[in-house]
Amino acid sequence: MHALFDPLVHVVQNTLSIAGLLWLGVTLFVYAVAIRIHHAARATPALHPLLLTVVIVGAALWLSNTTIAEYQRVAGLLHWLLGPATVALALPMYNQWQRIRHHGWRLVVAIAAGGVIAPLLAWLTVWVVDAPVAMQLTMLLKSITTPLAMEATRLIGGIPALAAVFVIITGIVGAMVSGAVFRLVRVDDPHAQGIALGTVGHAVGTARALQLSEQTGAMATLGLCVNGIMTALVVPLLFA
Amino acid sequence: MGRAGTWLTGWIAILACYYAGKALVIGLALPLPPALLGLLLLLAGLMLRSSSSRAVAQAASPLLKHMSVLFVPAVMGVGMYAAPIREYALSLFIAIVVTTAVSLGLTAWVTSRILASRLGKS
Repeated sequence: MHALFDPLVHVVQNTLSIAGLLWLGVTLFVYAVAIRIHHAARATPALHPLLLTVVIVGAALWLSNTTIAEYQRVAGLLHWLLGPATVALALPMYNQWQRIRHHGWRLVVAIAAGGVIAPLLAWLTVWVVDAPVAMQLTMLLKSITTPLAMEATRLIGGIPALAAVFVIITGIVGAMVSGAVFRLVRVDDPHAQGIALGTVGHAVGTARALQLSEQTGAMATLGLCVNGIMTALVVPLLFA
Repeated sequence: MGRAGTWLTGWIAILACYYAGKALVIGLALPLPPALLGLLLLLAGLMLRSSSSRAVAQAASPLLKHMSVLFVPAVMGVGMYAAPIREYALSLFIAIVVTTAVSLGLTAWVTSRILASRLGKS
């Protein structure tokens, strides 16, 4: 029982301190501004609110001589909320359930194909240059949604902080190049485009898919959910 | 039940699944992410009682909509890995930028083939 609720006690203690309230306030304020900027720039993937927030809060940390470790401790509430937020992903998954039943196993096979191709190619690239093992393992999770990627990375001995960055940049790149790539491989089927965006580019790719059409967005959500769950189940079983 | 009551019910459902997942992982020493188990428990719960999805939706939507801000402390930690990132900058660039583009194209192409096989039959 102790280990179960231990982190929460520390999180509450750290949040209810002057530094805790201050940095939480700064982070939320900067995030609110970042969302405005993102909207003003017509949701350009490169100006993802997370990247903007990290850069601006990072600059504030540097200016105020606060270490990253100290910030992570006092702003621990945000990190803690990731757990419940991950559980909440059950809701979009549930909403897609009818669609899976309708389209049948072909969609699951397609998502599984993408779910194997993306990490395999990325891993090969860092494996050939003999990068540190922790970095190689982290690459395996780069195409699934950040909370699941970070948890799975921790289990297999990768680096969760790197996983978060790899995942976000992967999503941004996927969203930015998708138009050109789909023209190159001559795929204009919204189902196929959506599955590819969600499976390879997780939530950022899904946001892009939603801009294309509702159907593309629904398929992307499906790819995001199914690939996230399959990868987070399989990778720790194989490598932990 | 008022709005606040629905919201609270949703939160209780989410937290119950989260801690049940955690307890299972610790108790049975499973090699699985605890939150993933919590997700699957909540999914099973929603399927068994679809009437509960409204309460869960009310608690979950702000969490899902603003999940980005929850990653800020974790992503900030990347600053501690500046040296290995610089050392492997080129292969990281290829792994994240080039292979993502290739994977996106391959997945779209494979998916369109798989789905076309169905249309061809019907």
